[in-house]
Amino acid sequence: MFKPSRKTIISFILIVCAVFLISAFSPFFRNSAQKTFKPHLTLIDLLKRECAGIIFYHRNMVELASLNNEAENLRRRLFDLREVEQENLRLKNLLNFKQKSPLRLVSARVIASSPDSWSSSVIIDKGRHSGIRRGMAVINAQGLVGRVIESAEDNSKVLLINDPGQGVSSIVQRSRQEGLVSGTLGANLIMRYLPDDAQIAVGDIIITSELSQVYPKGLLVGRVINIGKEFSGLSRYAVVKPAAELSSIEEVLVIIP
Amino acid sequence: MKKWLILFVLIILATLQLSWPALLSFFNAKPDLLLIFSLSLVFYFNFKFALAAAILAGLLKDAFLPAGMAINTLLFGVWSYLTFRLSSQISTENNYVRLSIILIIAVLNNTALGIQSLSSGNYIPAGIFLRKLIISSVYTTAFSPLVFKLTKRIAA
Repeated sequence: MFKPSRKTIISFILIVCAVFLISAFSPFFRNSAQKTFKPHLTLIDLLKRECAGIIFYHRNMVELASLNNEAENLRRRLFDLREVEQENLRLKNLLNFKQKSPLRLVSARVIASSPDSWSSSVIIDKGRHSGIRRGMAVINAQGLVGRVIESAEDNSKVLLINDPGQGVSSIVQRSRQEGLVSGTLGANLIMRYLPDDAQIAVGDIIITSELSQVYPKGLLVGRVINIGKEFSGLSRYAVVKPAAELSSIEEVLVIIP
Repeated sequence: MKKWLILFVLIILATLQLSWPALLSFFNAKPDLLLIFSLSLVFYFNFKFALAAAILAGLLKDAFLPAGMAINTLLFGVWSYLTFRLSSQISTENNYVRLSIILIIAVLNNTALGIQSLSSGNYIPAGIFLRKLIISSVYTTAFSPLVFKLTKRIAA
């Protein structure tokens, strides 16, 4: 049925080779495409947020009232905790503890998400100008979000933790059991390589481990919602619900080491 | 003039695909508007132009993906060529035939992308793989009449 001529095949191969050379060996196209798209993606993001604000007016109003209440409670607690913090500082100084340098964070807005369904990534509106480099960890107020895999001058690409190409060395907070959390493209993550007698239970909190080269230790990854046995029967796995709502993230914080 | 218009539409569709609202994403699946557009060009424009536009659409999609390999650039070109060969063998005037072609190609495209992800060592549970494959393909097909109308209007 399909009998392409020799000329067609050769020209097609040439085109494919050219395309591969352009796209695989030169980041120029990627950077310029992302730079070209940035202004209108930012504008569309703004419009989307405004529209969502109008559509979900009632829900937002109720949420605002409950958040105001919560803020009031937290303010009261913060006042109490300030005293504890001062006391803690005094005691630490007395004990000559080495002060751990606080993490430097750069806040960024998500302007676009992955164009296909087989990967999970977002593009943020900050890049090398703001000190963001490849490999940096990305979090939000809820927990771990992912890591920077590409950074251009004024935008960066972030691979989310629910991408199957992402692996996070993690531990169970309660029992310090180690495992590797990776994405599945679904709403949940999977923690694998757990021994048969692993100390893990439903409801356990998963945090990043110090073995991770990319992520600082102690970042909240999620909570165990199910535990199962691998097909081989040699090890177990745990289904982890990510702490961060990955399908609708709007703002993130990049950790600058 | 039409060529510039096509470029403009490519940018609009890519933007739409990149900022697809989370509310309209079923199980994190979104329609592949660039794939539909590059295939619809085969039906309304000459093949060489449609092929060039398909490769550009693939490049555009690859530019925003985390994978380093330009798989969409290659696949879009292949699908464009196969659709052209198929349209010279059978009549593709009927809308149902066009929808069927889009569905088949969307399934093939998603299968290729899924297999590429699996072959690079990623773990995707079988249930999620099938769900993504089916929902993405059907969602893409469902949006194709709109994109066809747009392409027809540009070609007219």
